[in-house]
Amino acid sequence: MTMNVNANEDVIVCKDVHLWYGEFEALRGVSLTVKRGDVIVILGPSGSGKSTFIRSINRLEEHGAGEIVVKGIPLTHDVRDIAEIRREVGMVFQQFNLFPHLTVMENITLAPINVRKWSREKAEETAMKWLTRVGIPEQAHKYPGQLSGGQQQRVAIARTLAMEPEVLLFDEPTSALDPEMVKEVLDVMSDLAKEGYTILAVTHEMGFARGVADRIVFMDYGEILESDHPDEFFDNPKHPRLKLFLSQILHH
Amino acid sequence: MAQNISAAPEQNIPFWRDERVLGVFAQIGFIIVVILGAKLLGTNFASNVNKLGESQFICRDGSFSYRCAYDFMGSEAGFDISDTALDYVNTDSYWYAFYMGLLNSLKVGLLGVILTTFVGLFVGIARLSSNWLVSKIALWYIELMRNTPLLLQLFFIYFGVLLALPLIQDASPVLGLPIFLTNRGLSIPAPKFMSAAAIWVAFLILGIIQFQVTWILLARQEEQTGRATNRWARGLIGFFIIVIAGWFISSSVSDTQGLLTSKASRIRDVGDIEKVMLNRTNLDYLDEIDTLSPEEVDAAALKICVLRDSASEPNLIRQIERIGAPYTVRRFDRPDQVTAAYVEGDCELFAASKAILAAERATLENPSAHLIVPVKESPIVWSVPRYDGTNIFGGSKLLPEFTALLIGLTIFYGATLAEIVRAGILSVSKGQSEAARALGLSESQRLRLVVLPQALKVIIPPLIGIFLSLMKDTSLGLAVGYPDMYQVTFTTMNQSGRAVQGILLLMVVYLTISLIFSIVLNWYNSRNVLVER
Repeated sequence: MTMNVNANEDVIVCKDVHLWYGEFEALRGVSLTVKRGDVIVILGPSGSGKSTFIRSINRLEEHGAGEIVVKGIPLTHDVRDIAEIRREVGMVFQQFNLFPHLTVMENITLAPINVRKWSREKAEETAMKWLTRVGIPEQAHKYPGQLSGGQQQRVAIARTLAMEPEVLLFDEPTSALDPEMVKEVLDVMSDLAKEGYTILAVTHEMGFARGVADRIVFMDYGEILESDHPDEFFDNPKHPRLKLFLSQILHH
Repeated sequence: MAQNISAAPEQNIPFWRDERVLGVFAQIGFIIVVILGAKLLGTNFASNVNKLGESQFICRDGSFSYRCAYDFMGSEAGFDISDTALDYVNTDSYWYAFYMGLLNSLKVGLLGVILTTFVGLFVGIARLSSNWLVSKIALWYIELMRNTPLLLQLFFIYFGVLLALPLIQDASPVLGLPIFLTNRGLSIPAPKFMSAAAIWVAFLILGIIQFQVTWILLARQEEQTGRATNRWARGLIGFFIIVIAGWFISSSVSDTQGLLTSKASRIRDVGDIEKVMLNRTNLDYLDEIDTLSPEEVDAAALKICVLRDSASEPNLIRQIERIGAPYTVRRFDRPDQVTAAYVEGDCELFAASKAILAAERATLENPSAHLIVPVKESPIVWSVPRYDGTNIFGGSKLLPEFTALLIGLTIFYGATLAEIVRAGILSVSKGQSEAARALGLSESQRLRLVVLPQALKVIIPPLIGIFLSLMKDTSLGLAVGYPDMYQVTFTTMNQSGRAVQGILLLMVVYLTISLIFSIVLNWYNSRNVLVER
């Protein structure tokens, strides 16, 4: 895969990132370096700042202090840099956020046509490729409201991939799904991980974390408390709060 | 496979608790109320009409019948209307006067609807802007306009702003452009349509159809061969060929414009003007006109007379300027005034439509001594306002009454619409904007492609109400003296004493307009409904 040519290059570098909502400090000095092809799962109790953190990487949240650099572009108030970073970083949301007034095909081709300036023919061809890839080419001309949750999330993934990003951010992609649909989405994510995409995923799917991640990051109170290889992370947790967290989610 | 379905247990329900019986009772009760109400209003109305007396219902043959209630509308209106879309004189019928009022109402209403849409959209978006100043200005505008009466705003705009503009004696071009702004209104350059325009519009439509067909055929070809075919360029070339050819064809086919001139003038054709002028000036070429003194040029100038603001003037002047002949133009309000000046010898040429000229020639002492010479016409001529020291003529004039009403309706309903637009935009979930941003769409693309199409679902139903209110509030034109349908009917009722007929007519016409609006907008709304599982 061409993406692995420059392995070991730093794709995302975060240094001492702080973020405030008014008086409340949601991120308290987060530092993380992600290399090309890394698959990183972020775990943590709710309210720990993990979603806020990945949303600040494509500027859906604005960090107050510290430094975020994506593919060598520093994230500042410069709208051109923000646009450039958003083209390189795709995001999949918990609530899918498909555009309900557009068909599946139009959802996927909207950004390639309007942002990448592709011709409609090329965009539709690419869209069909990605729809086939996530296993639902026959749904191309339906509206999002006519699909099941799992299918909608797979369309959302196809929509993100159609922009050909190098980095994928997943913000609890399976949390809004019925249990029987979780697997179809996790399968697609695992395949993408194997293909060499750089992935940051916030998820509660421990099976996915253990089986697919290169590294697991544990966050609480807006800080990274532990970051380790999955086996070490689960079998030999060091921080007391991680021990507590694991005991709560694994034993009931 | 026969299945044994047991019927729902049927108990003995007392009828006053049985929902089916209660439903029927409610329906019957409602019908009774409606019938009683209609009867009350109907008998009241009938007795009042009877009190009016038979004189209200005189037929043309002198008999009396309710069927002749509107016959009076065929008689002479006798009042002037200050602003009409078509030619109108006070000898036209009440029906025609009402029609002029209707056109005025529609003109203000439709323009108001279009402008209100823009203002409402713009201010509604501005209100949500993250820019503090922009959002506060929008807020103040909305609060000020929504919380003061529309009638007060109309008075303010009309008396406080528009009538305070310079007098006509002080008129001067705005910024050196051929635009005049005085307390008699705003004059701007405008296209004037001639009879050839109807034919040309047919060519225009043909051109558009051609473009569509070419586009579809080439798209199919592209699909089959997979090669780009330059659809835009080929469609547009065809379009322009048809439209330009249509321009010449329609102007050569049309034959409604003419010149009235005496046989002695030896002008048999517009082309003859050059020869006549060369004779008169003793020049070899009209280019050498500069060698003459201003007095000589004035003496030789062709004396043209026209009706004020007619399209015949710019049409003829353009052709005479191409020849290079010097000319003067005098303008009159009525054809018989021009004819009088023509008889006096103040006019060598009377330019107008052939129909007018034929009628006027018949009134001359010796009609056979005068000719009607055909003039080529363009489908559309460009009319530029000019100021002659006492009056502004030509171009298109927006009267202060019209402007006040249009501006008043637009800013008032624009403020109301802005709040609806804001509600519509806020109804679209934040996730939609986040997804659009995450995909790299720019802020304007996010609004245009993602947020507004969804906000429309919420905006359109109340928007229908706003448009209907605006349409009906054109009747406030009465307050600033704009001759809309209501004002014309008001005058008609005063003069004829037929109040019942007038009010009924108004109600029917406003109702018809409103229903057409509702049907069109509801149809559009039904197309915008989201498809759900």
